[in-house]
Amino acid sequence: MSSNSKKNRFLTIAYLSPTAIILLVFMIIPIIYTLYLSFFDWNLIAPTKDFVGLKNYTSIFTDPVNRKVLLNTVFYILLLLVLNFLIPYFISIIVKFFISKMQTSYKIIFFIPSLFSLVVGAMLFSWIMNPVSGPVAFFVRYLGVALPNWTNSGAMAIVMLCLITNWKVFGYNFVLLLTGLGSVPQNIIDATKMDNIPKWRMVWDIVLPLNKSIAFYVLILTIVQGLQYVFTPISVITQGGPYYGSSNILYHTYLNAFVLYKTGNASALAVITFLIFLVLLYLEIRFVEGRTDRYE
Amino acid sequence: MKNSSSWIKRVVGAITLLMVAVLFAGCSSAKGAAKKVVHISYWHVNAQTQGGASVDELVKNFNKTHKYIKVTAKYNPNMYQGLMQNLQSAQASGKVPDIAQVGWAYTNYFASNFKYLTPTDAQNKFDSSKTFISKNFSKRTLSFAKDSKGNLVGLPYSLSTPILYYNKTMLDKYGISASSLSTWEGVSTAAKKIKEASGEYGLYIQEPGDTWAQQAMLLSNGAQIKKNGKATFASAAGVKAYQFYQDMVVKDKTALHTPWAQGIDDFVNGKVAIAYTTVAQASHIKKSANFNVEAITSPHFKGSTATVPVGGSMLAITAQKTEKQKAAWTFEKYMYKNSSLVTWTKGTGYLPPTQGALSSQAFKSYLNENPMLKPATSQIKTAVPWTSFPKNGLQAEQTMIDARDKILSGSSVQDTLKSAQEKINEQQ
Repeated sequence: MSSNSKKNRFLTIAYLSPTAIILLVFMIIPIIYTLYLSFFDWNLIAPTKDFVGLKNYTSIFTDPVNRKVLLNTVFYILLLLVLNFLIPYFISIIVKFFISKMQTSYKIIFFIPSLFSLVVGAMLFSWIMNPVSGPVAFFVRYLGVALPNWTNSGAMAIVMLCLITNWKVFGYNFVLLLTGLGSVPQNIIDATKMDNIPKWRMVWDIVLPLNKSIAFYVLILTIVQGLQYVFTPISVITQGGPYYGSSNILYHTYLNAFVLYKTGNASALAVITFLIFLVLLYLEIRFVEGRTDRYE
Repeated sequence: MKNSSSWIKRVVGAITLLMVAVLFAGCSSAKGAAKKVVHISYWHVNAQTQGGASVDELVKNFNKTHKYIKVTAKYNPNMYQGLMQNLQSAQASGKVPDIAQVGWAYTNYFASNFKYLTPTDAQNKFDSSKTFISKNFSKRTLSFAKDSKGNLVGLPYSLSTPILYYNKTMLDKYGISASSLSTWEGVSTAAKKIKEASGEYGLYIQEPGDTWAQQAMLLSNGAQIKKNGKATFASAAGVKAYQFYQDMVVKDKTALHTPWAQGIDDFVNGKVAIAYTTVAQASHIKKSANFNVEAITSPHFKGSTATVPVGGSMLAITAQKTEKQKAAWTFEKYMYKNSSLVTWTKGTGYLPPTQGALSSQAFKSYLNENPMLKPATSQIKTAVPWTSFPKNGLQAEQTMIDARDKILSGSSVQDTLKSAQEKINEQQ
C-alpha cells in the first residue's frame, strides 16, 4: 500500500516535471526577475543597476505619456470587446438559431483570416486603407468623399488597428461561441418550441445563461489576446504614433525595453499589466468554474 | 531498360560521393596539419532584397581567396535596432560576433556599453604600414564614426544622405522648373501651385522612427542640433524651420503628414509631387514609379547653405581574441577594396565611404546609369555626423520624434521644441 502510494507520488512528479521545469524557466523566473528589475534604473547592458525604489511605478501614474497610454489601453479593450466579442456573439446566435442553412460555410468563411499572419494583414490594410493613394481612398473619392487621414489621429488610428485585429480574431471567436451554443441541450430548445415561446426569449432566458461559461472564456480571451494581437499592427503601421495616440500598454512596454533600453520603466509597466491580467484570470476561474459546477 | 539506367545512376552517384568524401578528408587533414583556420562571424542588417545578396557574394569571394579565415555572415532583421538588440543578448551570453554593422544613432550607446577594438588600434596592432585609415578615408568621413569623446569607434561603411525626389511629369504639367526647388521656400511655392491646380499634395518629408530628415531641414536653416554636448535645436533658426514645415502641413495642407511607408507609396502613386527621403530609396522609387522621376540635392532656406546629416552605418570589430581580431581586420580591409565597395553600392544604394571607390571608374559608370545617386554623392562632401547625444542618446532621439509628432499635429512650435530641448539636456 505504502510502496504503491510512493510510486504514485514519484510518477506524479515525473510526469509533471517537464512542464513544471519549462514553466519555471520560461515563465516564473522571468516574472520574478522582471519584478526585481522594476526597482532599478538600467539600460539592459551596463554592469551596474541603480536602485530607484518605487520611482518607476510612480512615474507610470504621473507621467502624462504613460497616463495617455493607459487610457488608450482602456479604449482598446472597450473597442475590442465590441468588435471581437459582442458582434461575433450576436452573429453566432443568428447563425445558430435564426438561419438554418449554410452554417458550415459561414464557419469556414469567417475562420479563413485567422490563418493569416497579422503582419501580412497589417501591411495589406495599411495599403488598402492608405488615405491618400489606397484603393479605398480612390473609391470614396469617386463618390465625392475624402477619406480622413487616420494615421494622424490617435482615436481613428486605434479604431483602424482594432479593425485589423478584428479581421484576424473574429472567425476564431465566432467558431468558439458557435460551438458553445451547439452544446445547449436540444431538448430544452425543442420544449420552448412546443410551448410557443418566442425565439428571442428562448435566447435571452435559456441560451445565454447556459452558455455563460464559454462566453466568459471568450470575453477574457478577447481582452488578454486582443491587447497582444493589436501589438503587431501598431508596430507595423503607426509605431504608437501620433504622439503615443495609438500606443497601448504592451507596445509601450516594448518601446521602453527594446527601443529606448529603459529596462526599469518597461519592467514596471510589465508588472502592472501582469497584475491586471491576474485579476482577469481570477474572475475567469471563479465564473467559469462556478458555472460548470452548478450545471453538472 | 529503366531499371538498368537507374542502377547505373546509383553506382555513379555512390562513386562520386565516395570521391568527394575522400577529397574533403584529404583537404581537412592537410589544412589541420599546416595552420588552423580562424572562423569569424559578421553581423549585418541586409535582407535578401536590400543588399543581402551582395553581402553573400563578398563573403563568398573572401572565403575563396583567404585560406585560413572563414567568415560566416549573419543577417539581423529589423535594421540597426534589431542588430543592437541581438548584440545585447550576445554580450549577455558571452558569444559576441567578431565584426558588426553599427548604425550612427547607436555610436555612443555602443561605445560606452560594449567591448570593441578601435580601427586605430587594429591598424597599430596588425599592420606594418600604419596608413590604411588615413589613405582611404577623408577626415570628414571619419568624423561620422566618432563618439562624443572624439574617439574613432569603427570605420564608416554605408553612407546615405537625404535627397529631394520629384515627379517630373507632374512638375512639367504645372510649369514648375526643378531649379526652383533648390530652396525650401521654392519647394513651398511649388507645393502650393500643385495643391491649387490638382488638389494633390506637394511635399512629403520622411517620418520614420528617427528625425534625420527634419534635422537636415533645421541644419539647412543655420540651426544647430547640438553644441558642446547640449541640445540647441530650439534656437530661433530651428523654430523658424520647423514653423515653416508645420505651416505647410497644418495651415496650407500642401505637405503630407503620414508614416514613412505610406508616404513613399503616395509619392510613387503620383499623389504627392515631391518627396524628401534617403538616397537608399532610389532603386525602390525608380522601380515603382510609373512617371518620370528625378532627384536633386537637399534644399536649403534662403540665406543659408544646405547641410545634411549622414545616415548609414560603420563596421566595428567586436572580436575579443587577438587571432579573431586580426582575421576581422583582414576581412574589413577586404571590404574596403574598391571592387568590394562598388559591389556593395550596387546591391544596396548606399554610397561608398572611401575616396578611392568614389573616384573609381566602376562607380562613375554606375552613377551615369543611376543619375538619382549623383546629388547624394555630391552632398557627402559637406555632410555632418548624425547627432548622437553622449548620454541617453536613444531617449533623446525619441524625444525629438515626439516633438515632431506634436508639432505636426498643430502644437506650438516654440514651446514644443523648447520643452524637448530641456528634457534632453536634463539627461545629459
